Amino acid sequence: MDDRIKRIYVPMTESGFYILFCLQAPQHGYGISQQVKQLTGGTVTIGAGTMYGTLSKMEQDGLIRFFSEENKRKLYLITELGQEVLALELKRIERLYINSKGVSVDA
Amino acid sequence: MRKTLFRYYTIADYMEEEDWLRREHQSGWKLISMTIPGIYTFESCAPEDVIYRLDFKNNEQTEGYMQMAADFGWEYFDQCMGWLYFRKPAAAAGAEGEDELFSDNASKAEMAEKIMKKRYIPLLIIFFCCLLPNMFNSMNGFMGPYSTFFTIFFGIMFVVYVFLLLHCGIKLKKIRDQYKE
Repeated sequence: MDDRIKRIYVPMTESGFYILFCLQAPQHGYGISQQVKQLTGGTVTIGAGTMYGTLSKMEQDGLIRFFSEENKRKLYLITELGQEVLALELKRIERLYINSKGVSVDA
Repeated sequence: MRKTLFRYYTIADYMEEEDWLRREHQSGWKLISMTIPGIYTFESCAPEDVIYRLDFKNNEQTEGYMQMAADFGWEYFDQCMGWLYFRKPAAAAGAEGEDELFSDNASKAEMAEKIMKKRYIPLLIIFFCCLLPNMFNSMNGFMGPYSTFFTIFFGIMFVVYVFLLLHCGIKLKKIRDQYKE
């Protein structure tokens, strides 16, 4: 993973995180937004413009790839690079959570 | 019944324009079309709370984007100078919690940045490369017998431009900084 990807995506925006997280299975933009709403109990909503922009950028940067087309809707899927970024983010979020409980993490 | 109103919103006033269109719809006037330099045609309709959103796409919108907007419940009804006009009944947006095209700070800041890059900077270039040189030429009498006329013309343009550039520059920067992390 090059430094540019790290700089842009670690840490990533909340919308970005949920979009990448959902794309561990093939999904289109509206499907992702529904899934995120359900996962977060409606706390996190992603607008159409934000969704489209994030998907385009992630595809360009190789974090996700075009999977198939269904009724004029593009389905995307996470790539290997995307998995790496997601793993880094998850590790960071876990650390934040553990530290917030007043516990230190091992080096 | 139809009515036509004239309003001038600069490239930095899109949020005010959205609010105004929403108020018009609440009082029973639905926007049909918008053309430069600010002619809005409305059609009478049942008063309803409808959210209007403008998206600056600079004529680069794809079919995929329009499909996604439709999936999210946005009705696209017009475009003007690279701006797309969308609307969605507030009731539908409330149920879905999605009353915005750009839902997070990063993408809101990005839209302001895009307007700066694709609209504001070209305006600056026109100002410095076309308006100023022509104004100085006419002030120095290089435009022959009509120099006085041109001096007045460019003088008015100069004032308008300075006002527009200051207003838009300050406001777009403010919008961007407000959302930029």
